[in-house]
Amino acid sequence: MNTMVKLLEADSRVSGYKINIHRKETCELFYIHGKLETVRRTDNCEKEVTVYVDHDGFKGDAQFHVYPSTTEEQITALIGEAVGKALLISNQDYSLPGNETGEYTVDSNFSDYEPADLASLIADAVFDANTIAGASLNSVEIFISKHTETVLNSRGLHKTQQRYDAMVEAIPTFNGADQSVELYEQYNFAAFDRGNITDEIAGKLQEVKLRYEAVTPDFALDCPVVLNKLELSELFWNIAEDLNYRSVYAHSNLRSKGEMIQSDPTGDKIGITMAGQIPGCISSSGFDSDGLSLGTARLVDEGKVVGYYGGNRYGQYLNETPTGNLGCLSADTGSADEAAFTAAPMLEVISMSGLQVDFYSDYIGGEIRLAYYHDGEKILPVTGVSISGSLTEVLKDIRFSEKTAIYDGYCGPEKAILDHLKIF
Amino acid sequence: MSFSEFLNSRRSDAKALVCELKKDFCYVSILGSDIKSKSVRVDRSTSNISTGRDTECGFVIKLSDGKLIYEYSLDDIAGDIPALAGHITESFRLNAKLMDAAVGDLNLTDEPLVQSFCRPSDLHDFSDDQILDVCIKNRDALLGASEYVLNAFAVISSYEVSKLFVSENRELDQNFVWINGNMMAIYRETEKLVQVYDGVYGDQMGGVIADMPSLVEKLLHKAKILTRATPITPGVYDVITDPSITGLIAHEAFGHGVEMDQFVKDRALAKKYVGEYVASPICNMRDGAAAVVSAGSYFFDDDGVLAGDTQIIKDGILVTGISDFASAAQLGTAPTGNGRRESSRRKAYSRMTNTFFEKGTDKLEDMIASIEHGYMLFDTNNGMEDPKNWAIQCVAEYGIEIRDGKLTENYVSPVVMSGYVPDLLKSISMISDDFVITGSGMCGKGYKEWVRVSDGGPALKVKVKLG
Repeated sequence: MNTMVKLLEADSRVSGYKINIHRKETCELFYIHGKLETVRRTDNCEKEVTVYVDHDGFKGDAQFHVYPSTTEEQITALIGEAVGKALLISNQDYSLPGNETGEYTVDSNFSDYEPADLASLIADAVFDANTIAGASLNSVEIFISKHTETVLNSRGLHKTQQRYDAMVEAIPTFNGADQSVELYEQYNFAAFDRGNITDEIAGKLQEVKLRYEAVTPDFALDCPVVLNKLELSELFWNIAEDLNYRSVYAHSNLRSKGEMIQSDPTGDKIGITMAGQIPGCISSSGFDSDGLSLGTARLVDEGKVVGYYGGNRYGQYLNETPTGNLGCLSADTGSADEAAFTAAPMLEVISMSGLQVDFYSDYIGGEIRLAYYHDGEKILPVTGVSISGSLTEVLKDIRFSEKTAIYDGYCGPEKAILDHLKIF
Repeated sequence: MSFSEFLNSRRSDAKALVCELKKDFCYVSILGSDIKSKSVRVDRSTSNISTGRDTECGFVIKLSDGKLIYEYSLDDIAGDIPALAGHITESFRLNAKLMDAAVGDLNLTDEPLVQSFCRPSDLHDFSDDQILDVCIKNRDALLGASEYVLNAFAVISSYEVSKLFVSENRELDQNFVWINGNMMAIYRETEKLVQVYDGVYGDQMGGVIADMPSLVEKLLHKAKILTRATPITPGVYDVITDPSITGLIAHEAFGHGVEMDQFVKDRALAKKYVGEYVASPICNMRDGAAAVVSAGSYFFDDDGVLAGDTQIIKDGILVTGISDFASAAQLGTAPTGNGRRESSRRKAYSRMTNTFFEKGTDKLEDMIASIEHGYMLFDTNNGMEDPKNWAIQCVAEYGIEIRDGKLTENYVSPVVMSGYVPDLLKSISMISDDFVITGSGMCGKGYKEWVRVSDGGPALKVKVKLG
């Protein structure tokens, strides 16, 4: 690192620099039908250097990668090439963040375990969930990652953080007399809790049993639709990404400050806050790739856009305070209690091929792999249907649950009730 | 253009490491990757030349003791080879519980082959300055083409691959290039803001540069269509797919279901249908890195198996799937050269490469004329696989209504196709006599493991649920 800095500072054409280092160590287990097929270990360190050159009132930049095998001579040549590229780029000037140092650790109990032992414990927790006759886990993949990230720049910024995450990809399957069906489960977490893992997988195994029992209804469904945290996460992230400084600067944002996300709302009003860290969210981080410390930013309040968020460069271009690239999204909960979600008739979506949310075309919809139809007397598992509707109409009177759930970088309503969706 | 000097400098280390590890493992191979990717991008107010997301340099060592497969990914293999071999072996000392769960009976073969491959390209004949200039000219052309273009983006991304594969009996290296030229416009003619994108691609920079200006008119045409498009009335329709949507069906609806690692896991319904009709008898489908030259092409896969050209569906009958080395070993079949990794840091899976329906004998105009009421669908947006249950979700950017055998001025967007795969494939009643492969796609397995792919084919006439 010292050599790299020395070489960068020795080139008088270099106006500034940034070095990002990401060391990732993983332990991975791959099971097929409960048998261990592959074990993987990885230990890789990625170093990316960004060179900034101020010229003619503009700022140019270019990157290169450095590997353990890269010699001093090669680094000198790479710096020279990067200067040449940066001189071709004439972007509006902006300043790099500076004079901050720190070491951060995102809370996790992963450090209490040896990676292979932890992977083995996670595998036990996953397979313990398999107690349903006829159900199985045809494929299970377990990834445990330790990340050590450093960013430093020519203005004295130098930050390092350590964080962990894990991912279980499991394929719950139900084998019946006439067919076999499956669902897809990707469960991300940053703290080991054996019971939580078992409960999560057990829930999916129960759902896949119901997918086996599910039928394509032979009658028309015309009722409110309940979406769960995964689909709500997709909906809210679509709104948030539109309000990133980069989108606003590129004129690709659909809405600006002061404009309503929901027109004439009669249901729950949308509220969104972006955050650097939310306990339990795997995308929690102390700083972004520029080294900016991450706090919070309120984007949407009472259904109205009240702010934007984003990184250093585009924040400065818009004369806004750079918030950093915030990786966690917190959405306001709503007024719907448990009873509201058991009202009938109602179609509760459990698994979709993937919710399509397109604000440009005012479209929300997708194919349902499993849903529960509540008819007031019984719950009928259904499959083979799709939903489709206008986002404008749906958001007008959407109702969010009082209860909160976490899914990856999303923390917000566990469920929502949507009207005006065609089920076909 | 030439093979990576870095990988060449590690060739003898790789051989020495294979020898050392062979003392403890019955199968050892090493894949070295040196991938240089670059992106030159301009929009209305900014520009940049950056390293592309595919850039990587590293090694993955694949081992087997007959009970398990082990893989170790690292940045470099130079130095004290016995010490490195010892470290790798030590890192795979597993507890008794894990060893008891080992799948066992793994017989990974190592057939002798020594060969070098290179696909020449003119990539290095063009300077950054020239490429940036091309992007600026195309951006300006798009911005100047209509007052309604709020922002225009032009991006040229190149991807230069060097890979070295070394095992006890094999030594392979390959070097090739793929280039994408993409453009995007943000367009507001009415209250409705639309984003449109399209691309050109190839293994020669000169060709990409020559083709890029044609995107300007296409993007404006599409922007006008999307501006006027309205939601479709959900229902089951007669549909003509353009080659892009044909490719989406080949890839998402059926291709994922014939990836044979899913056969090992009993995750693919297709396993039960080998030798049976799964599609209309006029339907033929292939996949292969050697089938065409496109984004999914290479000379050998990430398991050191030579690229293939696999007939998946022949006259409507499912012939075979596509496999990686480990899956083929477990199934007792020959690998088809479809073992692919997102990078040297990730596992190899059975993956598609260039996947397409073969062309038929019908004229597109006759196909349109045969429809009383339906839609012609254009341009892939996204899709999702369901190999176990053969459910479909494929999203087209837009559709044009067909009335009484003619394309109308009625546009719909977006259009989601859903239903059951065999119903869709068996409904294919006409296939056009033309053929286009779209070479700018990325494909994930589930929600991860992204690799470059292409897909396409002719226009198909099908019956499917749209919403």
